[in-house]
Amino acid sequence: MDCNRCGEEAVMHAAYSGAHLCADHFRESVEKRVRRRVRRDDLVPRDATPENPQTWVIGLSGGKDSVVLTQILHDTFAEDPRIELVGLTIHEGIEGYRDKSIDACVELADDLGIRHELVSYEEEFGVRMDDVVEDDPENMAACAYCGVFRRDLLEKYAEKLEADLLLTGHNLDDEAQTALMNFLEGDVEQIAKHFDASLGALSEREEQGEFVPRAKPLRDVPEKEVALYAHVNDLPAHITECPHASEAYRGEIQQLLYDLEENHPGTRHSILAGYEDLAAIAADEFSGDDGADLRECAECGSTTTREICRKCSLLESLV
Amino acid sequence: MRVTVDVKGEETREIDLESVSVSGATADGEPTPTYQDLLREVDLSPHEVSVLVDGRPVPEDQPVESDHVTVLRLIKGG
Repeated sequence: MDCNRCGEEAVMHAAYSGAHLCADHFRESVEKRVRRRVRRDDLVPRDATPENPQTWVIGLSGGKDSVVLTQILHDTFAEDPRIELVGLTIHEGIEGYRDKSIDACVELADDLGIRHELVSYEEEFGVRMDDVVEDDPENMAACAYCGVFRRDLLEKYAEKLEADLLLTGHNLDDEAQTALMNFLEGDVEQIAKHFDASLGALSEREEQGEFVPRAKPLRDVPEKEVALYAHVNDLPAHITECPHASEAYRGEIQQLLYDLEENHPGTRHSILAGYEDLAAIAADEFSGDDGADLRECAECGSTTTREICRKCSLLESLV
Repeated sequence: MRVTVDVKGEETREIDLESVSVSGATADGEPTPTYQDLLREVDLSPHEVSVLVDGRPVPEDQPVESDHVTVLRLIKGG
């Protein structure tokens, strides 16, 4: 099968668009979607200048998604003095797994010549995920602890590094799953928060004074294409799954989406497009409600809605 | 034709192409199993794997032309 745009042999077929693309045109197509998302989300503000550059911190785990995001943002902005990229890697204390992916992060940051910061749960909190899953005082999935700790460190270091933006490598599959999960849980306020936290164009979000704004420029690209992009570009992405991964509900939704996508190509795109529109309306509706009850955690001082933040209460139960 | 489907890190299956159920007909009207049809035989979605023939990614809607297919599961996270 030939590429739709040239005579070369196709390496992929996108059922949702009907396209067959060769490696070069596939690359171009992925990069175009990421750059379009950067523009549509207004990620580069008008007042960014070479004298007043923006710092973009990328959550760089060394997996395919964050490696592809870092590579494309670097290719896009390497010559642009208004944007400075910093890779932020978090070691959760998972023996054998994270050590190797950190090598991938260091290699990539070296190759691209970008600044790279490495922090760990052990140094920051005195815990390692390998021990947390053994203790499991709250009887929760590993990801439930890990997500709280990771978000805390991403936010803390984004602030420390004086980031203007915190970027993560969530792809279309990730975001369509989250959209469907939020919808099925019936939590409209959560959907509104999702818009203000990371989905909306920067210019349309309600001011989140306490937090560094987040963005997900890879969210128009299906997971499969992110993996293929890493493959055809020979990027140093780490290819092992986390040994503690266990998100049962997300797995169920993921399977549902695979089945829907096979019979109705384009389902993930339409779920996310409709969800983003609804989230904008919900954010507008809830606008002004947010932030009123935010306070400082009595333990660590981070912004929270409780007296003691979730991270501190988890750490307390782990002792 | 018998096709070896090597799902990396998991099982390797020998599949008789004649026994594969076909979802669509090709341009000449002859139903030919595609890589996507082959994936269905091993209970995988084309959205969770990459299919490689001789180390090269192939579009899953294409008719199976090789007797050895490598299937790489996507790695979650990151």
